[in-house]
Amino acid sequence: MTDGKSGARLKVLALLCAFMFAALGTRLWFVQVLAHGEAVSQVQRQATRTIDVPAPRGRILDRNGAVLARNRTSLVVTVNRQDLPAEPARKASEIRRLATVLHLSPGELRDRIDTKRYYEFTPVPVAFDVPKRTFFYLGEHRPDFPGVGIVQDSIRDYLQGSLAAPVLGYIGPFSPTEAADPRFAHYSQDDIVGKYGAELSYEHYLQGTKGQVVDQVDSSGRNLGPVPGASTPPVAGDDVYLTLDDAIEKLATESLEKGMKAARTFGLPANAGAVIVMDPNTGAILAMASNPTFDPNWFATGNNKEINKLFAPAPKGRACNSTGCASVNRATQAVYPPGSTFKPFIALSALENKYATLKSSIDCPATWAVPGVVPPDVKSNWDPVNSGFISLSKALAVSCDTVFYQLGWRAWKDWYHDGHREKVQRALQSFGFGRPTGLDLPSEDSGVIPDPKYKEIHYANDPVATDRNWQPGDFINMSIGQGDVAVTPLQVATAYSALANGGTVYRPHVLDKVVAAGGKTVLTARPHVDGHLPFSQRDLDYVRTALTGVVQGDGTAAQAFVNFPLSRIPVAGKTGTAEVNPFQPYSWFAAMAPANDPQYVVVALIEQGGHGSQSAAPVVRRVLDGLFGLPLTDPATGTAKD
Amino acid sequence: MQVTTERGRSALGIGSLSDRAPIRHLDPVLLVTTFLLTLVGTFAIFSATHQVAAGADPWSFVKKQILAWVIAAVVLGAVAVVDYRLAKVYAPFLYAATLVLLLLVRTPLGTAAKGAQRGFYIAGFQFTPSEWTKVTVAIMLAAFLSELKTQDLSLRDLIRASVIALIPMVLVFIQPDIGTTIVLAAILGGIAVVAGAKTRHIAVLMAIGILLIALAFQVGLIKQYQIDRLTGFTGSGTTAATYNQKESEITVGSGGWSGTGYLHGTQTNLNFVPEQHTDFIFTVIGEEFGFVGAAVLLVLYALLLWRAIRIAALSKDRFGTYLAAGIASMFAIQMFVNIGMTVGIMPITGIPLPFVSYGGSSLVASYVAVGLLLNIHMRRLTVGAMG
Repeated sequence: MTDGKSGARLKVLALLCAFMFAALGTRLWFVQVLAHGEAVSQVQRQATRTIDVPAPRGRILDRNGAVLARNRTSLVVTVNRQDLPAEPARKASEIRRLATVLHLSPGELRDRIDTKRYYEFTPVPVAFDVPKRTFFYLGEHRPDFPGVGIVQDSIRDYLQGSLAAPVLGYIGPFSPTEAADPRFAHYSQDDIVGKYGAELSYEHYLQGTKGQVVDQVDSSGRNLGPVPGASTPPVAGDDVYLTLDDAIEKLATESLEKGMKAARTFGLPANAGAVIVMDPNTGAILAMASNPTFDPNWFATGNNKEINKLFAPAPKGRACNSTGCASVNRATQAVYPPGSTFKPFIALSALENKYATLKSSIDCPATWAVPGVVPPDVKSNWDPVNSGFISLSKALAVSCDTVFYQLGWRAWKDWYHDGHREKVQRALQSFGFGRPTGLDLPSEDSGVIPDPKYKEIHYANDPVATDRNWQPGDFINMSIGQGDVAVTPLQVATAYSALANGGTVYRPHVLDKVVAAGGKTVLTARPHVDGHLPFSQRDLDYVRTALTGVVQGDGTAAQAFVNFPLSRIPVAGKTGTAEVNPFQPYSWFAAMAPANDPQYVVVALIEQGGHGSQSAAPVVRRVLDGLFGLPLTDPATGTAKD
Repeated sequence: MQVTTERGRSALGIGSLSDRAPIRHLDPVLLVTTFLLTLVGTFAIFSATHQVAAGADPWSFVKKQILAWVIAAVVLGAVAVVDYRLAKVYAPFLYAATLVLLLLVRTPLGTAAKGAQRGFYIAGFQFTPSEWTKVTVAIMLAAFLSELKTQDLSLRDLIRASVIALIPMVLVFIQPDIGTTIVLAAILGGIAVVAGAKTRHIAVLMAIGILLIALAFQVGLIKQYQIDRLTGFTGSGTTAATYNQKESEITVGSGGWSGTGYLHGTQTNLNFVPEQHTDFIFTVIGEEFGFVGAAVLLVLYALLLWRAIRIAALSKDRFGTYLAAGIASMFAIQMFVNIGMTVGIMPITGIPLPFVSYGGSSLVASYVAVGLLLNIHMRRLTVGAMG
């Protein structure tokens, strides 16, 4: 076949072949040379499996190194809800059988399984600290329990139970809320994260850095062993040292409990309370107790029954019953009228604005009528006797309401005639009222210092026009810590600390330092000054000295301080009795000790605990006993004095 | 369809006069290229199959392939020795026998594997008629067309040739074996071009072929998985269908310039490419020897095709020319579709890479084809008169 035609046709064939080689060659060039990098990364991605190795969470310790929260290993039984039998009868049977094995009621187990705290696809821990026998039994009967897993897990352990619970907080599973938060970008769905308290505030120190094991896998997912050099060990979370003192925390918690119990014995509801012990020279919180409270171990071990109770909606009205509202930290998250604990601040403001002087002598009748109001608006002192003309100092010691009504009236006149300047509010705000103190714990309340603007907004829907306007009564009520004034016990402690240390407003804090796993201190909390009081040193000294009169002689809290060595350890304090309709009075007491060089500020509040002298003052007395190494005086409800 | 055996015998008679000489006219380049391709294939098969469960023989596939290689070499020798024009004489018989085998595969005698009825199991070896079909169809087409009197192929004769190819194509297609169907079509096209078919006639033929395929889709002859595989390379298929496509492409891609080194391919070792020792054997070469290795393999195929087309040109008789052209077409399309599918420019069809893929039937059939090429080459000087 040598003719030209067939030769030409063979060239066509050869050309087609050449085209094939050209196509394959250019494609190979593209795939192997140009797209090489992408191919390699895809190959590596599918040929390896990265498993996170959880880092041990950092511990939480008190200022002296006593461990408050740590980790321990626990045998945990989990249920993966998506792997349970779909058929209701079989599912119910499995839950029944599992409940028997775990010594739970089927209903209880079902509650634990049906929790909303976990993603639908993450295994839910249903039983912690399972006995080894149960653990092995479930391991051997795996096919009978589809969806049930048994793991040895590291769980959070709060060694002292509910002690300092609102400060420590609790942990929980990573949730969709956090998933949307950029600060949790590197977290994964099965992580445990801080949800409340210091566990939340210092989450990013406590969390640690996950390690990774990179395993080679084949196409069927079989593990072929770790890729050398690709794995990283986990780095344990940092230890967080708090300013709390374990012993003082216990003292405060016990004293509050005893004070509430005594008030209840007396017939008062005394349903809740808070105690704060603060170092006035730094703002460090030495103790913070809230009652009722919770046990953070419930969250570590998934005790849903208790958790659900904890977050049950509050009963109607503002006061919670003895078991309700335990999730609220009453030291920082609840606001109350401060009552007469406000009087020292009003007095300072009055001295500053010349509504009174150190030499003033002010009438303290049993009742006092607001001038020029028809029909007469008559306001009473808590004490139904006329005490005559007394000094401002005396008015503080005996907590004379009628004296402070007059100071409120003078404030009104000043406001009215002097360009509506909110001098009293400015003074109160200088102590830190009306805004969060900046404590390093989440969800702090800001409280309220009312002013004309507040009234305008807050009473916008009020039908009575005068209620929407700033009235003399607003200043008068404010002068005795009532009306729209609302404060947290922490704000009161912060304000008394400023009074105690001579005028510096320190920001309260619970963090002492952060120490990395290797022992290196990575963060030390330094006192943070939020401001200085605008009052003269002379006025501050005057008021502080005046408050030493509260705990002795005819002072309102004298009874609570009977036998306290005041000559050695002078105490300055102030009672408060806040009216919260329709409830029994809320009992307040704030103290500074030693009064001449304050080391501690102690504030106690007991909801529906009666007068300040009745339940709060004895609680503070007991705390001070403990702080100064004196024999503890158990609270006994005293005479009702403001 | 009718081949006059009388002419065939006389042709054989003329050739046999100087039969002792041809071995001196062997094509060493073709032979060496064939052996090199098989050697590369054997190494690649070992790489793809040596990862076995503990206790199993890592050499089992290689052993079988080497045994097939030995048989193939013997068969090649036998095919090369006997004058190829004998094949023209027996073409109708070979063709008929092939059709019978393809029909027998449909009976319970045939074995089903991976959803297709394709072969027979004989003494532990799978015998796949569709591999032989490629060679016998090339022989039959060459025999038929070389008997025609005219230099240019009339439409009538082209249709007759198409019918010859179409019968086995349909039988193979329903197995289903789309890959071999494509190869048979390419053989028909290659021989038809060389036999002088007009371009417009070939265009019409292709149009009819496309219509037939569309019809096959319509009546459900083509299964969904085949459609998925065929469309997978366009990136439109399902995940399962694009898996092979993606895996083979990134496997070849991860080889880069010079590859990961022999037996060091991650994808190969970890079994990420399905059917890697058979249809996807090229991914082993692509991953472990890189662009350089792939280029070397392409050069070997280029040598092979160059020699095949050269032999077609050198042959003094039309049968030899057509047969060599058909064999060249067969190798070219297999290489192109097979490598093309691993790098994503061709749809995935079950076409082995000649000489390289694991599989005895394919290897022996390819060696028979090379034997025929050598045969034509050896006798190019002695078979002059027939022209």
